[in-house]
Amino acid sequence: MEKLFYLMIEGIKNTWRHKISALTAIFSLFILLYIVGIISILEQNSFKVIQYLRSKYKIEVFFADGISNEEAIGVIHKIKKIDGVKNATLITKEDALRIFKDQFGENIIDLLGYNPLPASSVVNVNRSIREQLKIEPIIKQIKSINFVDEINYQGNLIKKIERSYDKISSYTPFFLGFVILIIGLIIYNLIKVSIYSRRETIKSLQLIGASKLFVRLPFIFEGMLISIISVTLVFPALFLTTMGSKYLINNYTAFNLKLSIDPFLLLWLLALVTVITILASYRAVSTFLK
Amino acid sequence: MIEFQNVSYNHKKGYGVNNLNMSIKNGDFTFLIGPTGSGKTTLMRLLYFDLLPDSGLVKVNGYVSNKLNQRKILKARMNIGMVFQDFKLLSDRNLFENIALPLHVMGFATKQIASRVEEAIELVGLEGKENHLPEELSGGEQQRASLARAFIKEPDIILADEPTGNLDPVASFELVRLLETIHETGTTVLMASHNYNLIKGRGRPIFELKNGILRVR
Repeated sequence: MEKLFYLMIEGIKNTWRHKISALTAIFSLFILLYIVGIISILEQNSFKVIQYLRSKYKIEVFFADGISNEEAIGVIHKIKKIDGVKNATLITKEDALRIFKDQFGENIIDLLGYNPLPASSVVNVNRSIREQLKIEPIIKQIKSINFVDEINYQGNLIKKIERSYDKISSYTPFFLGFVILIIGLIIYNLIKVSIYSRRETIKSLQLIGASKLFVRLPFIFEGMLISIISVTLVFPALFLTTMGSKYLINNYTAFNLKLSIDPFLLLWLLALVTVITILASYRAVSTFLK
Repeated sequence: MIEFQNVSYNHKKGYGVNNLNMSIKNGDFTFLIGPTGSGKTTLMRLLYFDLLPDSGLVKVNGYVSNKLNQRKILKARMNIGMVFQDFKLLSDRNLFENIALPLHVMGFATKQIASRVEEAIELVGLEGKENHLPEELSGGEQQRASLARAFIKEPDIILADEPTGNLDPVASFELVRLLETIHETGTTVLMASHNYNLIKGRGRPIFELKNGILRVR
């Protein structure tokens, strides 16, 4: 136990003894983890963005002339049952008349002598679907219902948004994996260079009878300490970036997004960098161990 | 007990030792002389099992070169103190930490380590320099520190490979005196040197190594 404690202390002392290389490693790790963190935050928040955009999708369904309010309610029930529809609100002929009057200040009956406005419905799509929302099948099913006369929706725009979301959510894990691989290689080489400069120390330790574990452990503890410092520094940076972006988006754009940072990201980054550092230290020291 | 039985070793570049036979009893102080490139360092490395012979047997304190694994080599080294021409002190640790290192490797308690390091520092006359880094010490002081590090674990054998190679005559003489002091505690000492003037007339057995071949002088 005392030996293990000594080796831990040696790991910490080594970090201090080799301040410059430790600082270089911390700075490099900080940059790399910041990039991974930003990609992860984007991935986590991309769903919130698409949910926000889906809340703005507008599908207006106009009913045929002569439909009674009871029949319109029946149509609304049928629309609500369609997969992908969250809710549908009925706008009766009377509601339409009122809305017209509110918007234009004129009573259309006074002008025409009758109410030409059709009953209609505003349909909202389900925002919580993780995959790409296909709007065309919903429109097709609504069209097939009796008494439906016309449908207005932003077909092309919705398609573009959904396709982009699909691309982002499909490619991000691969991109993240690629970035992590690059980061792993960079961390490995950083540690290897740092250990290379201390190969004589490794040789000397072996000559006085130190076991491989005795040689390796301080390097591993040193790597872990550097990882912890880097993650501790990167988390406030990511938090500030997220909150800053949220402030800018909500105050200077028309969007109202609730961007957030998952606290588990800290644990995830720590676990990621610690595992890479331990493996890299282990491998790099092994190169110089006989 | 150190014993070489028909030991040969060839480096890839062609140097090495050839059919060595040698025996050193426990508690002896023996010199090994020979010019640069004669195979002294190879012989020393064979003794602390940094190299294993191509043929023949090396026996050190019951450890036999053909019956070793990594764990046994480390155990064998626990009982061998080594002093090198280039000191091999860890440049990023102070004198105290360098000397204490073998005791940490052996798992000694911190309190014991402190008292033993103080004794070793006193023995080699480096009191007051505990916090100095190797680069802040003279060559002679570094070599004495290296000797203290070798002796602190109270090994059965001390192997000194050209320990005076980088020292001036006064420091060299002092170092041999220190080795003799350590030998008086019952430690077997084998010191390699190319400086015959330093070792002659001391009444110790001398082996001479020339072109990889050993003879008693």
